[in-house]
Amino acid sequence: MIEAIALTRKFSEFIAVDRLSFQVRPGEIYGLLGPNGSGKTTTMRMLLGLLKPTMGTARINGFDVLENTVEAKRFIGFVPEEAVLPDRLTGWEYINYVGDIWRVPRGSERDEEIDELLTLLDIKDASDDLIETYSKGMARKIGIVAALIHTPKVLILDEVQAGIDPRGAATIKEILIGLRDRGTTILMSTHVLEIAERMCDRIGIIDKGKMIAEGTMAELRLKAKGQQSLEDIFLDLTGGPDMQRIAAFLGEDS
Amino acid sequence: MIEDLLILLKHDLTGTVRIRNVKGKRSEQRSAWRRYSRYFAAIAVAIVILLGILFMSDLLGWEFFQAVLIDNIEFGSTIFNFIIIMSFMGSIAISVTTVGNSSRMEYLMTMPITLKTLFLEKTIVIIFYNAMLYLVIGTPIIIGFALASGSSIALFSIPIFIIMLLANVTLGVSLGGLIGLAIARFLAGRRRLKQVGWFLGTTVAILFSTFYYFSLFTSEDGFGQIFSVIFDFARMLGLSSDFSPGGAMNAVSLRLIVGLPIHMTDILLAILFLIIPAFFIYANAHFSEAAHYSGWLASGSKRSSKEDIRIAHTTWNPSTLPLIKMSTTTSVSMWYNTASVRREGRVLANYLVGPLRMVLFLFLFLLTPGGDIAGFAPFIIISAMIPFAVSYGVYFAGYELVYEGKNLMNLQLAPASLSDYVKGKVFSAVPFTLIAITIASVLVIIVEPTLWIYIPAVMISSIFLTLASGGIASYSAATGGDFKAERNISRQRGSAVQMPIRSMWSMARAFLLPNILGFAGLGSMLAVGIFIGPIYTYLAVPLFALICIQIMRYYTGKTGRKLQTIEATEYM
Repeated sequence: MIEAIALTRKFSEFIAVDRLSFQVRPGEIYGLLGPNGSGKTTTMRMLLGLLKPTMGTARINGFDVLENTVEAKRFIGFVPEEAVLPDRLTGWEYINYVGDIWRVPRGSERDEEIDELLTLLDIKDASDDLIETYSKGMARKIGIVAALIHTPKVLILDEVQAGIDPRGAATIKEILIGLRDRGTTILMSTHVLEIAERMCDRIGIIDKGKMIAEGTMAELRLKAKGQQSLEDIFLDLTGGPDMQRIAAFLGEDS
Repeated sequence: MIEDLLILLKHDLTGTVRIRNVKGKRSEQRSAWRRYSRYFAAIAVAIVILLGILFMSDLLGWEFFQAVLIDNIEFGSTIFNFIIIMSFMGSIAISVTTVGNSSRMEYLMTMPITLKTLFLEKTIVIIFYNAMLYLVIGTPIIIGFALASGSSIALFSIPIFIIMLLANVTLGVSLGGLIGLAIARFLAGRRRLKQVGWFLGTTVAILFSTFYYFSLFTSEDGFGQIFSVIFDFARMLGLSSDFSPGGAMNAVSLRLIVGLPIHMTDILLAILFLIIPAFFIYANAHFSEAAHYSGWLASGSKRSSKEDIRIAHTTWNPSTLPLIKMSTTTSVSMWYNTASVRREGRVLANYLVGPLRMVLFLFLFLLTPGGDIAGFAPFIIISAMIPFAVSYGVYFAGYELVYEGKNLMNLQLAPASLSDYVKGKVFSAVPFTLIAITIASVLVIIVEPTLWIYIPAVMISSIFLTLASGGIASYSAATGGDFKAERNISRQRGSAVQMPIRSMWSMARAFLLPNILGFAGLGSMLAVGIFIGPIYTYLAVPLFALICIQIMRYYTGKTGRKLQTIEATEYM
């Protein structure tokens, strides 16, 4: 469903993503993990057709996102890391805006579905307010509703649970698992390794733009010399904190 | 594509021209006055113009108006061309700004619409803003004349006027946008060159369009010679007007009202000037999409150099200069302001060359009589410095204060005086005023060497005028600024579609007050010098400087206090 084939993106001499290849199969949750600046968001932007790869191909449901951009985007629902939404619209207006663009038929059925999602995410009471009055988490929730309103076959989520309250986060988790079970393909990036461990069917760890490990949790454990938790595997592969420097810093400070 | 475009436009305008309050309890409930006033004002202006024309027509008779219009029919062409050039000048950086800030539209870019459609829609919104004022004033004039003429054929001029006006504004905006994209394309990745390129490109575009307009205004005199080929070509084609979009618009709208014959060539030219904007706006959308994907607009920081060169960024602290004492907050603010403006070539170019538009058009009418007022030319050049000195204060202190946006939170939390911080912004405009005045001074000395005696006085006064202007503008920004402007495509830095200071009163104060101060102050000082003796000009300079400094202190103090109390909801 999602295919990244030797995706590469250079910014002048800097290689943000380096020949990255992976596949996300239908009905699968794929977690893309990596330290800050490792190329996760750049990869997602290339998959969404927002950035042109310097090299390589990105396909959604068989459509090349650059050659058949609009066709490819029809399958996608996207929740960005920082939801920059139109400040001057209300949450309800924005979701309907998205619904109109995706040609979701207007009427009671659509309204009920929006209502249901808003209620599920505890954001219904604020849906008639201007987005500019929302907190980060509220804007994120509206972004999630907008991404789901056209029942996409592919969901791309960049740090979807960041800034969301525990109840909201749990709801999102259940919704995503439910969607996966109904056949939706989900690619998500997250820094919350516990979530990735519990939710993702397969995980890809990237560092400095390169895929350094990929597989199910069991496969990753094997690669990381038997480390048990995803956090340990992650730190083992990407490098842990520099304890000496931390100690030096704390020592100087205290 | 059309359906997508209509959906985008509908929702974009829903947010922009909202009349009713939203239902939500968190959102500010605006009073009916705030919601309706601008629309009522526009309708009132239109009605007053319409009734005024009808009343005058009743009083003096349509024949009188008809005769005046026929005698000055070419003036319509000048006015219509003026509209195009104003739209063009304000739009040179518009497409580059839209594309450069496309990350703010990520939510739209992931929708199943082409980026071309998206950029096309944004350009249409910009055209809408540009055309609004001309529609509000122009449409009732045309309706008034059409009704007063009593001819049913004249009524056709109303839709023709509206369509041609929109087409001409589209032409100006799209052409400006394309030129900006071309500059970005040729200077892609070269930061220094980009800054120079934007500066030169903007200046050349403004000068060229002004001279073109000037040539139309003065017909065959003066600068008209530069474009004589175009006029000869128009005559050869048998056009009743000049070969320009404004001329074509004039030929098919005003001539229709006054009953002058319209040639087939004029109609064909009008159709041509309907097709050209359509082509340009599409080209603009196409190249905006190309620019988005190509990375022409990527900032220097995203384009690492081949060698690993560490650049040491030191703050410029003028406190070390003799006789200059300022707090660390002020010097840091000065450095930060200059650095952040300088970083974006198009913003710097807009700020530095922007006043040229106002100056050229302001003095165009004065220069038009040519030899008759040649003796005043040096004084005109001297007074042209006032809009520069004022505008730099407004841009560097007023606009840049608004564009602090979310950073206001850091400023409010910092253990520093916000008045000192604002002063830094005001001072950062001074070097630019100094450069502009130096250039103008050289011009004055070339035109009228005997005036050299006044040059130092004018230079010193202009610098103090910038300080006063910056102080006033900073307060206007604090009271009427839209601190979320950076998130709004039409208000963001370098956009020039809507100003970052939202309140009309604040904008008027920011520009009018210092201009009055400048023209009255500098005018009086020069008059005193010319009629009594130059020494008296110099005696007046300290007084003028003192007034300016007091104004700056008064307003920056008020601005600092106001900024401390601005609520987070205003900028977050």
